[in-house]
Amino acid sequence: MSLNPMHQFEVYKIGPEININGINLSFTNASLFMAISATLIILFLFLGTKKKLLVPSKIQLITEMSYTFVAKMINDTAGSSAKSFFPFIFTLFMFILFCNMVGMLPYSFTVTSHIIVTFILASIVFVGVTIIGFAKHGIKYLELFVPKGVPLVLLPLIVIIEVISYLSRPVSLSVRLFANMMAGHTMLKVFGGFVISLGLLGGWLPLGFSVALTGLEILVAFLQAYVFAILTCIYLNDALNLHH
Amino acid sequence: MKQIKEVSTRLEIAKKKIADNHEINKGSNAASLGKALKISTELVAAVAVGVTIGFLLDNWFGTKPILIICFFFMGVAAGIINVFRSAKKMQKNYKD
Repeated sequence: MSLNPMHQFEVYKIGPEININGINLSFTNASLFMAISATLIILFLFLGTKKKLLVPSKIQLITEMSYTFVAKMINDTAGSSAKSFFPFIFTLFMFILFCNMVGMLPYSFTVTSHIIVTFILASIVFVGVTIIGFAKHGIKYLELFVPKGVPLVLLPLIVIIEVISYLSRPVSLSVRLFANMMAGHTMLKVFGGFVISLGLLGGWLPLGFSVALTGLEILVAFLQAYVFAILTCIYLNDALNLHH
Repeated sequence: MKQIKEVSTRLEIAKKKIADNHEINKGSNAASLGKALKISTELVAAVAVGVTIGFLLDNWFGTKPILIICFFFMGVAAGIINVFRSAKKMQKNYKD
């Protein structure tokens, strides 16, 4: 069973079963690792901002770097009008990053390798951005679906295509994160299984691969959090500034 | 006074170095990998959304295979538009 590469994605409940109106709300290992990630973020930021030194300590430096990294990303992609959304994007980025990174530890569980988690995160972004767009521009926000300079005959077709393109945003956002995390962790497990089944004689090559893949996975974990955050910024930019 | 001037010269040099590094990093592997992953999922997601909409509408109107076929092709078109747009955005970013 431990050789099954998909076994690591199994969700099981910890503690008693909680059932409210037929909805299963039990505390699972997924909830546990989300809580661990959130706690780690709070701890990290608390320790980083506790002593405000002029010459920063290591942890303060990392905290400040993550702040400037996200602030710069928002400024570059969505402009200064998106500054007020910094807390949301910073939270999103840190949560995904920590979930991915906690998942890299042995014996842990990767929350972001489940599509429902990433889809909910992407849906929050999608619904939020749509509400912001309508709140800012009113009914004119629908102009997003009508590109300029299209002949009237083609317009119905183009509008449908634009709507599909708009609706595909949360899907591509969530599938990207989920697929990357799940594929990477499955691959790691498969190579880990090869090490055991090939034994002392032939196991060295897959072991080398495993080490290399772990490095790649850490890169992917960071990259996917970054891509998720930057795409949120891009969508926010579309909603705030409304131009193609 | 002389010290301040020296510090500012050193700052200028350091800033230039950072700018140079930034230029090199623009086409780095990590960023390219991110872009490649982004584009591939965009194409697939639009097709999936198109097919889903077609399937739901077909069930609703009872016109079994017609709408799913139409919306599949529209999903493909939307996917290609997505890819085209993000490629154009990348090109613009690269030129700046």
